[in-house]
Amino acid sequence: MEPSDEALCERVARRDEAAFDLLVSRFQERAYRLAWSILRNAEDARDISQEAFIRLYQTAGSFRGKSKFSTWFYRILVNLCLDHKRKHKWWKLWVRDDVDDRGDTILDRQPAPVNDPVDKLSRDETLKALGSAVDRLAPRQRAAVLLRVQEDMATYDIARVLKCSEATVRVHLHRALATLKKTVEKH
Amino acid sequence: MARHPDTDLVPYLRGELPPAERERVARHLEECPDCKQDTELLRDLLGNLAHAIGQPPAVSWARYRAELREKLEARRAQVRWWRRPMPLALSASLAGALLLVAVWGGRELSKSPDSIGPDEVVIGRELGLLQEFRTVERLDLLEDLEVISNLDRLGSERQS
Repeated sequence: MEPSDEALCERVARRDEAAFDLLVSRFQERAYRLAWSILRNAEDARDISQEAFIRLYQTAGSFRGKSKFSTWFYRILVNLCLDHKRKHKWWKLWVRDDVDDRGDTILDRQPAPVNDPVDKLSRDETLKALGSAVDRLAPRQRAAVLLRVQEDMATYDIARVLKCSEATVRVHLHRALATLKKTVEKH
Repeated sequence: MARHPDTDLVPYLRGELPPAERERVARHLEECPDCKQDTELLRDLLGNLAHAIGQPPAVSWARYRAELREKLEARRAQVRWWRRPMPLALSASLAGALLLVAVWGGRELSKSPDSIGPDEVVIGRELGLLQEFRTVERLDLLEDLEVISNLDRLGSERQS
């Protein structure tokens, strides 16, 4: 039977390198994707997600098992991402947000599943606008939305990641989705 | 009608609410067409968001892990300077210097109560002169000045 994430974390605290490698393999894609969704830059996402794994290695002993390992790890990761965004806020004044590091827009990154070209265009336009609107959300609102949508996390777990109450998460989500709804309604 | 359950709609859609709250929201949605429409919009929105956010550029995971391993090794090598082992000669020199400073400082400290600076000698000589000034002769301090200036004599008298 595969060891649980929590059991692996305990082994990492005892400096078990194999357990660390296994945890990295399990979480690398999710960590990188979440970091990228918040930071919108592949290089930063790689650096920050790797830094989160280093912090995990260094502080595994402080994981008490009161929450799921994923919640504890996402807290480290999201905090690093939010700190990074805060430190590099000024840079955003000079860089367009809706173009990523490959020069692709959100539209370029979308799959093209729809048959009707008109519908497809309209849908792509809406998705593009929606993606840009997500990028413009306040950092914690954006983090709450991403944890809900990408990681399918419950309000309780999002609250633990963002270190706030469930009521605050509900407000973050409500406000963020109200903003995004307006964007959709415009299209 | 009760207040609109705005902030409860997302947890309601995800089925997170406890039964009583879920029942309350469901009843409200039956009575309030605006909230019902909002809920449907939210459902679509949450479904579309995953597509709207998109996927990050592909990564070579083997390279990612190799980089991570390198960074971790580098971090381990960064032992804090005060924890680094110091060469024996440097440690001995530092300890010697500290000892020297401690001994020299101790001698200076023990010497200081006996040593009298040149200013103090001059003032001591002028104690008698101070008594000549009418403006200061009534100061209480001067009552003690006489005692102070004759301390040596008083001491020897007391001994004899």
